[in-house]
Amino acid sequence: MTIARANGLKRSYDLNGWLFIGPSVALIAIYLVYPIFRSLYLSFYAGKGMMMKFAGFGNVVRLWHDPVFLSALTNTVVFFVVQVPIMITLALMLASVLNNDRLKFIGLFRTAIFLPCVTSLVAYSVLFKSMFSADGVVNASLLAVGLIGTPIGWLTEPFWAKVLVILSITWRWTGYNMIFYLAAMQNIDRSVYEAARIDGVPAWARFARLTVPMLKPVILFTTITSTIGTLQLFDEVYNLTEGKGGPSDSTLTLSLYIYNLTFRYMPSFGYAATVSYVIVIMVALLSFLQFYAARDRS
Amino acid sequence: MIYSRKGAYCALIGASLLLSTSAMAGEITVWCWDPNFNGAIMQEAGARYAARHPETTIKVVDFAKGDVEQKLQTALASGTTQALPDIVLIEDYGAQKYLQSFPGAFAALSDKVDHAAFAPYKVKLMTVDGTVYGMPFDTGVAGMFYRKDYLEAAGFKPSDMENITWDRYVEIGKAVVEKTGKKMVAIDPNGADLIRIMMQSQGKWYVDDQDNLTITDNPALRASLEVEGKLINAGVVKTLSGWTEWAGSIGSGDVATVMSGVWITGTIKAQADQFGKWGVAPIPSFSADGKGHASNLGGSSWYVLDASAEKDEAIDFLNEIYGKDVDFYQKILTERGAVGSLLAARTGDAYSTADDFFGGEKVWQRFATWLAEVPPVNYGAFTTEIDTAVMAHLPDVLKGEPLDDVLKSIEAQAQGQIQ
Repeated sequence: MTIARANGLKRSYDLNGWLFIGPSVALIAIYLVYPIFRSLYLSFYAGKGMMMKFAGFGNVVRLWHDPVFLSALTNTVVFFVVQVPIMITLALMLASVLNNDRLKFIGLFRTAIFLPCVTSLVAYSVLFKSMFSADGVVNASLLAVGLIGTPIGWLTEPFWAKVLVILSITWRWTGYNMIFYLAAMQNIDRSVYEAARIDGVPAWARFARLTVPMLKPVILFTTITSTIGTLQLFDEVYNLTEGKGGPSDSTLTLSLYIYNLTFRYMPSFGYAATVSYVIVIMVALLSFLQFYAARDRS
Repeated sequence: MIYSRKGAYCALIGASLLLSTSAMAGEITVWCWDPNFNGAIMQEAGARYAARHPETTIKVVDFAKGDVEQKLQTALASGTTQALPDIVLIEDYGAQKYLQSFPGAFAALSDKVDHAAFAPYKVKLMTVDGTVYGMPFDTGVAGMFYRKDYLEAAGFKPSDMENITWDRYVEIGKAVVEKTGKKMVAIDPNGADLIRIMMQSQGKWYVDDQDNLTITDNPALRASLEVEGKLINAGVVKTLSGWTEWAGSIGSGDVATVMSGVWITGTIKAQADQFGKWGVAPIPSFSADGKGHASNLGGSSWYVLDASAEKDEAIDFLNEIYGKDVDFYQKILTERGAVGSLLAARTGDAYSTADDFFGGEKVWQRFATWLAEVPPVNYGAFTTEIDTAVMAHLPDVLKGEPLDDVLKSIEAQAQGQIQ
């Protein structure tokens, strides 16, 4: 009798448990799992808009021969290969400076550097677009200081457009990563540094040999999230270039290309789904590589 | 008691709201994109129709053109007709894209509208397999607007701007830059507007009449790229990014000429401080024989959504105002600079009025004359894609790479995009 009752209780717990998570499971199934499989299914179809026909691996073949896809891929890779290391280094340096208790107004500096992260992606992109326009504040200042003779075509020359995108995302995300390092640094035992100081280890070595190794898990985490974020880069390039990824495709990212394939060009939903799976594969591969490179060799 | 009475009031208000929405069954929602141009024109059309049919109201919703297109495409793709308006404005370059990729989404108007009354090239752009799907609206007949004061300062009279070649245009541009410090023209390297104008003036497009890609074997595109390269390399161009900056260059007085469709007149005339300073001339040509000065940029048409609950009413509205009301066309011409494509409207008085903003010139008559000379071309369904491919290779043109090689890479890129 007690067993039967315990069973009944267990069943009731099970049921309640399922009822509690039921709504979220249902929502995840509808809005996450279903689209994932649906897009995989879509990637085997090709055609104009709603006129889709089964194409097998036709979209993958198209991918191979598509110069625009290749430039979107190259741009995306350039963005994260150049931007992520710059940002991580910068964030580490800032964090280590702001971890110094003797610094005055430390709260102010921390807030100031973190503040870009609370601005909306669209708002800051629009602001950057106007600041960096041909007659914008940035060109005017550079001209006034005498650093440049003619205005830089931040939004009209392919090279500078890339520089602008890297500048923008670095401005927006450095503070965010810095907060992670700051939190991790405060968990490092001060006696370690004290011992090192007594042993005569110079400041740079304390940073390079003590701080950085002890932050390894956090650095790994931020590198992976930043890489994934850069792979999915969309808002900034969309708003800086009015959705075109210009000039001459120089700021076209994979995500923007997916958007264009779906909403600006003759809609090819199947091909767009195929390109989105390229991002999935890249994210998986890169995450694996980074975990592998940072594994504990013990 | 008090609460229940409040509740009753709420229920009453709610019920009356419900009632009032159902009573507005005759509300026709229209999407368009320019509050100073097609939005205002649609308001005017709605007011005219409502005066005769009080049971109908026209609700004009205008937002950015890119957003209209994206919202339309999303709603069509998702299949939720509730998200769609009853009438939508679509630019001619994109019409075939929508008609071909969402068959059945737009109401066929062949039997309901007398399309023979409109400019044939407009009707052709909205025809798929012999069925016509839209109500032709404005044309983008192109002209060269120029600042008389700047050109005078550089030593040119208005007559010097008439029927010039592109080479002469570059020369004038150099003189303007030298004498006034202003640039000759503003170009957004992300957009192919000028290329489109130059190409259509030669009667060609990226595709031929059978929708086959014509890039490497297209002397018109080659010549257009060459001129664009010459212009930029000569230092007479103000390069900028995006429509806002481009339109801003008119107001700020940074450029001496504006090469665009007639619909830009509204934006130019909005600069009250520049009253009397502007002139209009035909766009430059590629030959010195006085031909090839007519072209087109933009232009759009109205489409009725097939799933609309007010479909018949919407068609009747378009037919009555856009299909027949000649007086309406006179008004939108003088007030908004809209050159409609209804042939009967071209003979109205408004076309022969002089415009004081342009120093008393009969600008509308000039546009009407050029309109008759615009070479009709088939835009195909892939203008956006090929535009992108062309502009992606503009830097190569500027670097002086052989044009044949550039055209080859453009063709390769375009080929990958149009399947």
